[in-house]
Amino acid sequence: MLKLTLRKAANAVALLLAVLVLNFTMIHLAPGDPVETLVGEMGGATPALIEDLRRSMGLDQPLYIQIGLYVGNVLRGDFGHSYYYDQPVLTLIGARIGPTLLLVTTALFAATMIGTVLGVFSAQRRSSWLSHLVTVLSLAGFSAPVFWVGIMLILVLSVAFPIFPISGMSDAVGTDGGLLYALDVAHHLALPALTLALIYLAFYSRLARASMLEVLGSDYVRTARAKGLPRRLVVYKHALRNAILPVVTFAGLQFGQVISGAVLVETVFAWPGLGTLAFDSILRRDTPTLLGILFFSALMVVVMNVLTDLLYRRIDPRIKIR
Amino acid sequence: MDLKVTRVLPRLTWLALAAAVGTVSLGWALPSVAHAEPKAGGTLTAFTSGYRSLNPAVQSGSATGMPGSQIFAGLVQVADNYEIKPYLAKAWVVSDDQLTVTFTLMDAARFHDGVPITSEDVKFSLETTAANHPFGKAMFGAVTGVDTPDASTVVFHLAKPVPGLLLSLQPLLMPIIPKHIYGDGEELKKHPRNMENVVGSGPFKVEENNPAERLVLVRNDDFFIEGRPYLDRIVFPVVKDPLTRVLMLEKGEIDLAPFSGIRPNDAERLESADGVKITTEGYGAIGYIHYLELNLRDKPFSDRKVREALAHAIDTSFLAKVIFGGRTVPGTGPLHTGNPFYSADVPSYAPDMEQAAALLDEAGYPVGANGERFAFTLDVPSWAMQAHVPMAEYIQAKLATLNIKVHLRRAPDFGTWVKRIANWDYEATMNGSFNYPDPTIGVHRHFACDNIRNVIWSNTEAYCDPAMDEMLSSAAVETDFAKRKAIYADIQRKAVEDLVFIDMPQDFTATVYSEKVGNRPNTPFGALAPWHEVYLTD
Repeated sequence: MLKLTLRKAANAVALLLAVLVLNFTMIHLAPGDPVETLVGEMGGATPALIEDLRRSMGLDQPLYIQIGLYVGNVLRGDFGHSYYYDQPVLTLIGARIGPTLLLVTTALFAATMIGTVLGVFSAQRRSSWLSHLVTVLSLAGFSAPVFWVGIMLILVLSVAFPIFPISGMSDAVGTDGGLLYALDVAHHLALPALTLALIYLAFYSRLARASMLEVLGSDYVRTARAKGLPRRLVVYKHALRNAILPVVTFAGLQFGQVISGAVLVETVFAWPGLGTLAFDSILRRDTPTLLGILFFSALMVVVMNVLTDLLYRRIDPRIKIR
Repeated sequence: MDLKVTRVLPRLTWLALAAAVGTVSLGWALPSVAHAEPKAGGTLTAFTSGYRSLNPAVQSGSATGMPGSQIFAGLVQVADNYEIKPYLAKAWVVSDDQLTVTFTLMDAARFHDGVPITSEDVKFSLETTAANHPFGKAMFGAVTGVDTPDASTVVFHLAKPVPGLLLSLQPLLMPIIPKHIYGDGEELKKHPRNMENVVGSGPFKVEENNPAERLVLVRNDDFFIEGRPYLDRIVFPVVKDPLTRVLMLEKGEIDLAPFSGIRPNDAERLESADGVKITTEGYGAIGYIHYLELNLRDKPFSDRKVREALAHAIDTSFLAKVIFGGRTVPGTGPLHTGNPFYSADVPSYAPDMEQAAALLDEAGYPVGANGERFAFTLDVPSWAMQAHVPMAEYIQAKLATLNIKVHLRRAPDFGTWVKRIANWDYEATMNGSFNYPDPTIGVHRHFACDNIRNVIWSNTEAYCDPAMDEMLSSAAVETDFAKRKAIYADIQRKAVEDLVFIDMPQDFTATVYSEKVGNRPNTPFGALAPWHEVYLTD
């Protein structure tokens, strides 16, 4: 077991290093010059200042030296300085990773839980109108652009029926800690989390439905039924435990994708997370910040995969035995 | 003998530096909206699209300038109609030869940390701005020295008269920053105190600075103007998405939105919302114009006839109507209609496709065997896409009818576009720029022969004419407003005659505000001004 864990850890580190190098290379090969962007934001600069900026950012060095320096610095825990914000990348990410994790985990949790319930329900009543409704709504949710869903939810639940705030993570003035603050954040979280969840809800309900249908048709379920076990017990104890495996697998794998989805959701709802920072960093060619965000996204995906693996073993004892 | 002029300067006399002393009368208001008795207290909300610095001395732009003008005071304020008003300087005297300006500072003015504001701070602020602000050289390049005979007196020595000097001394352009903090030898552009523990001199102090979420300013109880500011607090939530902004404005979550960034088609919707108002008043000193910039170094655009053909082919009135919903006017030269030196006495090029075709034939660009006269690449920057993309697409379609093939090249980001244009690696580009308070800052840069540089928004198109240069030099030092205006009229006429740029519609720049906002600033910089007179009616 220890050997296996060590091997997995070594693989994860190697993977993250590869991600680091690949991201660095791709971003630096892409068109766009961070110095020119910065100079434009400053309203112009002399050629001397431009050269000075280029030197101070290390951009006057050949690419392979830049990669070497970057990887070396990251291994020492230094993710560099944001070109735009002129702050350590770790400070910027540290301030924003919390809101993003809150948004992403809430959305993913809601999507998997509600999606599974809907999927199971729909699988049991394949031909009912409710099942068809779930299917149609799932497809609609899956097809709709995330920013459109966000704006529609704002129009309905913030403007027409002012139940939730339009944007931000907490009230601008007032609550500054404790339970009131937590409730305030939850109030602000509802719409962005719902927007993000709706996209994945569709996916998980479809997945859970398909998986449940397959499991419900399997021999051991038929045997359980033949034994005279109550329908509820067959469905929720015997079938669901197996049917949920693909859902858990995808939840882990999709964590990175959900972070990508958060970029747009955060922008629409002015949610102060990594998504808005990533969006700005791309537009401003703030390479160190973007690299830092990509690294942390990769790190989160790797961590989630490990957690999924562990959860998988808990759900399906056969894996543990193997 | 020194000139002495009383406090409320006649319109535009700042240009002559004729000024002034002023008896101190800081109870006046800047407003364009009249309300009943101002009321103290309350929180005003005004969003920001994000900022990287709170120090306008080293960072230009509205994102920094809007909160920066609240955190820092300036020597003067600019009211409606370009009137220069006392602020931290309670009075100033201009020498007869207009080469010396002596300012007297307010008594008992203090920075937010309680340290007195002295003439040394003013000197330091000017030197910092001159060295670090993108327009520092243009604004203060003629300042040869600054004397500080005592703590409340500061003397500027000029190499030549500078008509726009006073206008540049407002907090937006030259904030008074504390020498005891920024004079520690650290590089000013990267100074940590530009964002952390910011100590200002203005009516509001920083309470919370979270660039990811919001900036909160609170009343400076020790402000040097008794009884001001009226507001207790200003909150700037960070909102980037334009549609979210519109919805917040519509719902009344935002009280004041200078440089609102709203699109003309959203304006109508907002106008119908309860308690929400929109104005395009002010902003004359910003003077945001759009134009088609052609690289004049090479054929075909080095030929004036080709440029004239393009001017006849492009119907700017149509663009103003379609792209801006008729909420702006067609540009008629390098100066914005809100600029005090604007002149409408310029040649016009009425839409006329036949004449355009004839001019192209004359210039030696007949329709070739391939059905084309010529082809060129039109760069489209990533900023102002709402305006530039449809303009470029219109130009492409319109010129196709003249058998000119236009290849649109949309820049993936700001830096890519900047690099192409600043390196002169382009044929034509959609562009736009600000006039800024004085034409010496925002207009001369596009036409002066010695400003053909590898810097964006310089004379990148490579226009050079000795006659134009001479006029620019004269206008830069002419202190008589009428004479100066006459020179600028000639400059505009020449620029349009020479077709340095093909004019596009002026930008739609609007302030959206709630009816409950009293004393809304409406200066030539719109609401980019100190808000110590602003109050809320409920």
